[in-house]
Amino acid sequence: MDPAFTMRGLTKVYGDGPAAVRALSGIDLDIAEGELLILLGPSGSGKSTMLNIMGGLDRASDGQVRFRDMSLTAMDERALTNFRRKHVGFIFQFYNLIPSLTAHENVELVGEIADNPMSAQEALGLVGLGERMEHFPAQLSGGEQQRVAVARAIAKRPAVLLCDEPTGALDLKTGVRVLEALVEVNARTHATTLVVTHNADVARLGDRVVRFLDGKIRSIDVNAKRTPPSELVW
Amino acid sequence: MRALDKKLLRDLWRMRLHAVAVILVLACGLSVFVMAVGMRGSLERTRAAYYAERHMADLAVSVVRAPERLALQVANAPGIAAAETRIAGLALLDVTQIEEPASARLVSLPLDGRPRVNDLVLRRGRWPDRARVDEVLVSEAFATALGLEIGDRLNATLRGRREGLRIVGIANSPEFIFVSAPGELFPQPERFGVIWMGREALARALDLEGAFNEVVFRLAPNANRTETIEAVDRILRPYGSSGAYGRDRMMSDRYLTEELHQLSTMAIFLPVFFLAVAAFLVNISLGRVIATERSNIGLLKAFGYGDAAVAWHYLKSALVLACLGALVGSAAGIWFGRSVAEMYQQYYHFPRLEFAASPLTFLGAWGAGLGAAGAGAVFSVWRAARLSPAAALQPPQPAVFSQMRGAIAALSERLDAKSRIILRRIVRYPRRAATTAIGVAFAIAILIVARSFPAVMDYLLDVHFQQGNRQNVTLSFIEAREIGVLHDVERLPGVIYAEPFRTEDMIFRHGRRRVQEALIGVPEGARLSRVIGQEGQVITPPAAGILLARSLAEKLDAAPGDEISVEQTRGRRIQARVRVGGIAEPMLGSSAYMDMNALARLMREPGRISGAHVVMDPMRHSDFNRRLKATPALVGASFVTLAERSMRTNFDEHIGLMIAIYSAFAAVMAGGVAFSAARVTLAEQERDLATLRVLGFTRGEVSYVLIGEIMALALLAVPVGCLFGMGMAMWLMRLFQTDMYAFPYVFDPNGYAFAVAFTLTCVLAAALIVRFEIDRLDMVGVLKARD
Repeated sequence: MDPAFTMRGLTKVYGDGPAAVRALSGIDLDIAEGELLILLGPSGSGKSTMLNIMGGLDRASDGQVRFRDMSLTAMDERALTNFRRKHVGFIFQFYNLIPSLTAHENVELVGEIADNPMSAQEALGLVGLGERMEHFPAQLSGGEQQRVAVARAIAKRPAVLLCDEPTGALDLKTGVRVLEALVEVNARTHATTLVVTHNADVARLGDRVVRFLDGKIRSIDVNAKRTPPSELVW
Repeated sequence: MRALDKKLLRDLWRMRLHAVAVILVLACGLSVFVMAVGMRGSLERTRAAYYAERHMADLAVSVVRAPERLALQVANAPGIAAAETRIAGLALLDVTQIEEPASARLVSLPLDGRPRVNDLVLRRGRWPDRARVDEVLVSEAFATALGLEIGDRLNATLRGRREGLRIVGIANSPEFIFVSAPGELFPQPERFGVIWMGREALARALDLEGAFNEVVFRLAPNANRTETIEAVDRILRPYGSSGAYGRDRMMSDRYLTEELHQLSTMAIFLPVFFLAVAAFLVNISLGRVIATERSNIGLLKAFGYGDAAVAWHYLKSALVLACLGALVGSAAGIWFGRSVAEMYQQYYHFPRLEFAASPLTFLGAWGAGLGAAGAGAVFSVWRAARLSPAAALQPPQPAVFSQMRGAIAALSERLDAKSRIILRRIVRYPRRAATTAIGVAFAIAILIVARSFPAVMDYLLDVHFQQGNRQNVTLSFIEAREIGVLHDVERLPGVIYAEPFRTEDMIFRHGRRRVQEALIGVPEGARLSRVIGQEGQVITPPAAGILLARSLAEKLDAAPGDEISVEQTRGRRIQARVRVGGIAEPMLGSSAYMDMNALARLMREPGRISGAHVVMDPMRHSDFNRRLKATPALVGASFVTLAERSMRTNFDEHIGLMIAIYSAFAAVMAGGVAFSAARVTLAEQERDLATLRVLGFTRGEVSYVLIGEIMALALLAVPVGCLFGMGMAMWLMRLFQTDMYAFPYVFDPNGYAFAVAFTLTCVLAAALIVRFEIDRLDMVGVLKARD
């Protein structure tokens, strides 16, 4: 089977001259369809930068990124927006829900621009939030807000789910519930799922773990068996 | 520089666009303040100096004919410092520069030396030689308008006699700073001027040898004015005195006083408006800065800065803006004042009028600017001071929204999510939404006010010329003539239609009150010259009795049914009693009106008329004018069509410029409010908008949320702004009202449409500028940041 993502010589430099910072230098990586991939590394190691380029939020300075038969590096702003719209679901550390919309409406929002969205009820049901649909973000706990964010990300049935420190702001118990939702979604929708974390224990969750250091891939480990979120500790 | 001050400067730089809006709005308001207060002061000072230096009369009196031997007796009346008897009259002039006859007020120069009262400023040439009877001085404005030079000759018709005059000098007088022909509201310097000539020559021409018909006085410092007036009246009453009067009835001074009154109104009204908006802008922009600086405020306090130090830090940024605004406003005010002074020179003939604002004016401007900015800042600054450091270091709680109820909920159900975001934000933050909407409403209102002036002027001109005075020319006779003379007028070349009129200058008395005014006799079914009421209706005098203008009735304390007495100020000084038949509210003037025939009977001259209004064939003006110049029985010819044309030109050139400046100010304000509101809305929604972009919403779709909110608020502001503008315009018209003219409120749909369209365009433009910031949104940066 062809990989979902192919990266060759992916490089990202911020700024120029002596002040230039190489966030990524020469990344080569293939990611299979439906894979749950963990990107692990300390702050500033380049993992988030790679995630952003893969999601069309940022552009590479050099190298190639292909998603299926599309070259992301060749796309203009409009095409990137369209790529995100059609294929990508994002989850961030700070949830980023729209405060003026209820949980249900936050999920429904995505339905307005997707071709074949799942219903908001179904998406919220998948993350175990069927009952709190009519609450506004301010009326939900952090974990609940993040699960709404997951539901929002999956409602358009994305091919790719990009999660940047999804549990970074959560305690263990709520973090585990969010990860359980992610794993469940990955299993049910077969979305290629990337989770950025600096928490080494979370790494046991994925099919493979890519370790970053100073903008380069230091190692790629394959987990023999995925650890269920309920068994994680941090 | 202290670190905090560096931070202050950088904060200001970051909010520079807001800052520019605040500075410009403040500068607009303060420049009007500096201009109006400075101009008022300059006019007052210049007038006072001119009056003092040239001995401007405090009192004047007209008589029919008094023997010169009374001069000493009058000069010795109590309270008189100086008195000057003189001869004055009107003349028709035949000048080659214009086709129509011009006219002039003739004033005699004393036999011995310069006038002791109302002395002249000789601008060019020399004083007339007493031995040369034809030598005259002409007023500077008249000479300039007609291009008259020293040595030029004028043909004048005085009391039916033609005299050749020779110009030997050009002069100005404190008595004629503002000059308009009798019965004309506005100056036409090429058609009416002042001529000073030797006493003997003028006396001979007017059959007043050994006599005088005017006295002008200077009062002694401690004079009892009323006593003096009574003494003078006692002496001169037998000689046809119409009663001594003060500067309030001297045309020139009266106009100047009204101008000063209007400047005072302007000095208060417009700046207050702008300062309020500037305060509003400071409030929303500083409010936003402080909201984003929450954690910094927490840090400062954690480091040990006190509440007062923090408050001062933020207050300073508002005060810096105020100082910059005041600086720009002061400079612009000086420029503005100089331009207005130049404009005034065209209407008011001072030897020299220079704009100079006093230090106190600038102090006032700076104080007002600082006060407005401080008032705008106080709420935000107070919030910053009150913030506890622990709370400030916590992220702010996410905004709590709750389900809407009733009609709004029903509306919300029918909207898509993006529109729902807009609706919920407006409902959730009603005060902020109201502030933005009120700001936009302010902008609409000031544009409506600015545009209402030309509309009112247009309306007044229309009423005066198209409805009130539809004649092309008004001819006045030296004395009342038999109505049969109308046939002669009708036979003048080019005359299509002639309508008679009768007018008398009268002293009205009711109880102890006494007012001098014109009594106008209107012919039955008048078609040309008609009295137009404030509602635009034609006012017809009652068949019996007299109709008083409201302002005249108030001065006389007379009501319908009361009997008042009238007395001619000239001629045979006929006295009569008439019953007040009604009170009218004419748009212009404060005269009294009667049926023309009834007035003639009252004056014991039935069937006699004072003149005729004439409609002309425009192709035959030249023939008409030639005949007119050769008709000695006329004392005046007023060319209504020309007056209208010159007024409209004047208006477009001068008042038009003022309106353009005010419109530009209104535009700055509308733009500033719109921009600030759009910018603050973006800042508050930055995170939501970035989220939408990340979710795959296009720029256009995201812009909809931002622009939709601003435009929704702007649309809400439209009716409010229109009502507000209408109320302000009405109020302002009342403030500007004088007893010479009533300014009606005129609803001008075009003005409203312009105000709304312009403001909405500004709002949209500002929102689009902000929209470009959406394109530059650092989506990742925004989303990864803690709120």
